[in-house]
Amino acid sequence: MRLSLLVGAALLAGGCASIQKERGHAEVAALVEERLGRKTRWNQGTPEDAEVARHLDALLKEDLTSDHSVEVALLNNPALQATYEDLGVSQADMVQAGLLSNPTLDGSIGFPISGRGVSEHEVSLVQDFVDLFTLPLRKRVAREQFMADTLRVAHEALATAAKVRKAFSEVQALQQLMELRRMALQAAVAAADLSARLRTAGNITELELASEQAAAEGARLELAESELALVEAREHLNRLMGLWGPRTQWTLSEKLPPLPDQEVSLAHLESLAIRQRLDIDAARKQAMLLWNTLELARSARFFGRVEVGVHEHRDADGPRLFGPTLSLELPIFDQRQALIARLEAQHRQGERRLMELSINTRSEVRAARARLLALRMVADRYRRVVLPLREKVVEQSQLQYNAMQIGLFQLLSAKREQVEAYQGYIEAVRDYWMARADLEQLVGGRLREGSEAPTPSPSQPSQHVPPGPPGPPAQPAQPGTPTGHGQDVTHGTESPHEHPHD
Amino acid sequence: MPDRDYRPVVVPNGSKLPWKVVDNVKVFHLVAEEVEHEFAPGLKAFCWGYNGRVHGPTIEAVEGDRVRIYVTNRLPAATTVHWHGLLLPSGMDGVGGLSQKSIAPGETFRYEFTLRQASTNMYHSHHDEMTQIGLGMTGMFIIHPRRPVGPRVDRDFVILLHEWRIDVGTERPNPNEMTDFNVLTMNAKAFPGTEPLVVRQGERVRIRLGNLSPQNHHPIHLHGFHFHITETDGGRVPESAQHPEGTVLVPVGSTRVIEFVADVPGDWAMHCHMTHHMMNQMGHEFPNMIGVKPGGLDARVRTLLPGYMTMGQTGMAEMGEMGMPVPPNSIPMLGAQGKHDYITAGGMFTVLKVRARLESYADPGWYDNPPGTLAVAATSDELRRDGIDVNAPALVNPGAPA
Repeated sequence: MRLSLLVGAALLAGGCASIQKERGHAEVAALVEERLGRKTRWNQGTPEDAEVARHLDALLKEDLTSDHSVEVALLNNPALQATYEDLGVSQADMVQAGLLSNPTLDGSIGFPISGRGVSEHEVSLVQDFVDLFTLPLRKRVAREQFMADTLRVAHEALATAAKVRKAFSEVQALQQLMELRRMALQAAVAAADLSARLRTAGNITELELASEQAAAEGARLELAESELALVEAREHLNRLMGLWGPRTQWTLSEKLPPLPDQEVSLAHLESLAIRQRLDIDAARKQAMLLWNTLELARSARFFGRVEVGVHEHRDADGPRLFGPTLSLELPIFDQRQALIARLEAQHRQGERRLMELSINTRSEVRAARARLLALRMVADRYRRVVLPLREKVVEQSQLQYNAMQIGLFQLLSAKREQVEAYQGYIEAVRDYWMARADLEQLVGGRLREGSEAPTPSPSQPSQHVPPGPPGPPAQPAQPGTPTGHGQDVTHGTESPHEHPHD
Repeated sequence: MPDRDYRPVVVPNGSKLPWKVVDNVKVFHLVAEEVEHEFAPGLKAFCWGYNGRVHGPTIEAVEGDRVRIYVTNRLPAATTVHWHGLLLPSGMDGVGGLSQKSIAPGETFRYEFTLRQASTNMYHSHHDEMTQIGLGMTGMFIIHPRRPVGPRVDRDFVILLHEWRIDVGTERPNPNEMTDFNVLTMNAKAFPGTEPLVVRQGERVRIRLGNLSPQNHHPIHLHGFHFHITETDGGRVPESAQHPEGTVLVPVGSTRVIEFVADVPGDWAMHCHMTHHMMNQMGHEFPNMIGVKPGGLDARVRTLLPGYMTMGQTGMAEMGEMGMPVPPNSIPMLGAQGKHDYITAGGMFTVLKVRARLESYADPGWYDNPPGTLAVAATSDELRRDGIDVNAPALVNPGAPA
């Protein structure tokens, strides 16, 4: 009776842990969608995959947009798909952690050698008892590990999205630059053409003609270079979107968008990064996990192996015996002190890593924002001042040409300088959007244009995580009085990885 | 007294300096100041001149006059006035630093001397000449003889020659220019801004030419007449030394006076014979396009530069007529519409208009050529009559007997 109860409880404890295929990915998808507004999918050879393929084809048939290219990559990037498999591994570990160790069945039978007497047998069923006490904590540790993995995978997805956005901007810019190079070539060819006509009329030297022709050939080679650069940029984007075959025939007609009206404030960006960066969250969870592991070790400190079980014994001629067994490890020599010290060190290490990551993140956000502002200034200066001036130079050159004060060569060179200014502008706008993609990656989500408080809700993937996860005090020798992770005990100021919960 | 002692001069496009007599002294007042001046319709610039004019008003007096000329400086720089060609005390010669202290901005100086010779003279700044003459600070100074010399003239014109650098689209002459002058003027006007010289048929005409160009001499050529050079800087040329001319070279810093009887009616050109001096605002960076065949070039360039048109393949003649948009404050290099066609001349170019009958000396309009006195297209009858085959090779005879 007691045996059946015990076995039943053990089966119950282990039974809830079964593998759910979509489990981790659903959380990743939710995290990514919350931050990018785009769905992601883990292809597992299910019938829905065909639907995804159709969706991909539909996306690729139209002119590609930046958002669509991110969507394609999230659905189709093979490296990302490989990363999703990590979730399977992690989930398996989590399920494993929820399983009780198997009971041990011992049996022995003895036969009389002398020919006298009867055979004797003994049967015992033993279950490690400590498992039952530590199981919840172990499960929690494993779950946290799984969550940390989930966050890491989602972080990868965001990183891929940022790469896609940058590659997309590059393709856009190169398409536009190529148009400009074509214009530059056209201008150079016109100048060479005029030179040939002047030479035919006997008005210029062979030297002047050859110089103009050489310049035209230079422009032709520059165009060829930019054509190659465009092919390479397209292939980069193809790799990121995981495309091959006919799917690489996508088109992109959208021009680089103009700059947003205003930038998000620095203070907001930093707190946004700390709040929604998934790798920071993962590091936070990692630290918490180490703390829980440490707790586990501490709570089991004076437990050795405890095995309980039942055994049945029958002698040849004796009575049949049945009763419980208890086997107890005596923690006399090994009280887990080494293990605990190691876990304490690892936990502190985790805390330091979190600190490092937070400080670096803040710094990177500041640097990226400074870069964004500088590029905005450059692009803005081009748009508001340089381009109108270049426009005016061409316009005035044409008037001077009409007044026969300057010739076509000077007029075309004014046009070429205008084209070069446009190139500079397009490059600045492209760099701006790439820097913005970097910044978005650094703050862990999209920046809403000009808005000061656009926040995906904080990055907790599940409700299990308390807002202020317990951590050890500065001195690990004082367990039981955990302070918040965020509290810098010595200074009382906010820690770099702390963020206001608004 | 004017009209009693002498025939007053006519200054086309110009002006004369007023005077009053105070204690038997003719008193003048010159004010040096910045002036906005129109060189020809469509081209204005900020120059330096006198009494609101460029060039300064012509000073006209008579041999033996005592003149007192006040000079007020309203320029931002010091200045002086040199009386070019006049015989006077050294201290009145107006060379800044050498003859006198320069007239500082805001100051007024007094020049006073007796006119000792009858001649055609000039005046100009002699302080930082390059800048101040380059900006237009010049004028003519005519001294009539006390007693008439030579045949009495009916029309006595004064023309001061000058040259400027005014880049297309700018509003101030560049006095730093040394060679590429692009606005060439008679009394500070470039054709078609020049007023014609109007004369009644049979009148005796005197034209007094002065040249205060920074760099160039000007061979002034008069169509229709032969003239005599009757005066140089020093005064009257003895009759025995005068000889008939069609062109008179007016060197920089010199005056020449020509006289002739305008006995043939018509519209007669008078201009500097340096061909570039008959152009307005020439662009020297424009390539030589003569003989170039644009072919498909225009269409190709227009995709980059809408409105582009290849120009100059046959020269500059059509330039003023094309009506293409040009920078503000600029004039065509050539010309204006004339009676028969477009006049492909600019710069130092004006018209002597001789008429049998005149209501006044105002511009009488274009000359009506009597029948048979106008070149017209030859008719095929005429060509046949005279055995001219326009398609045959053009013939010449050998230069020497065979």
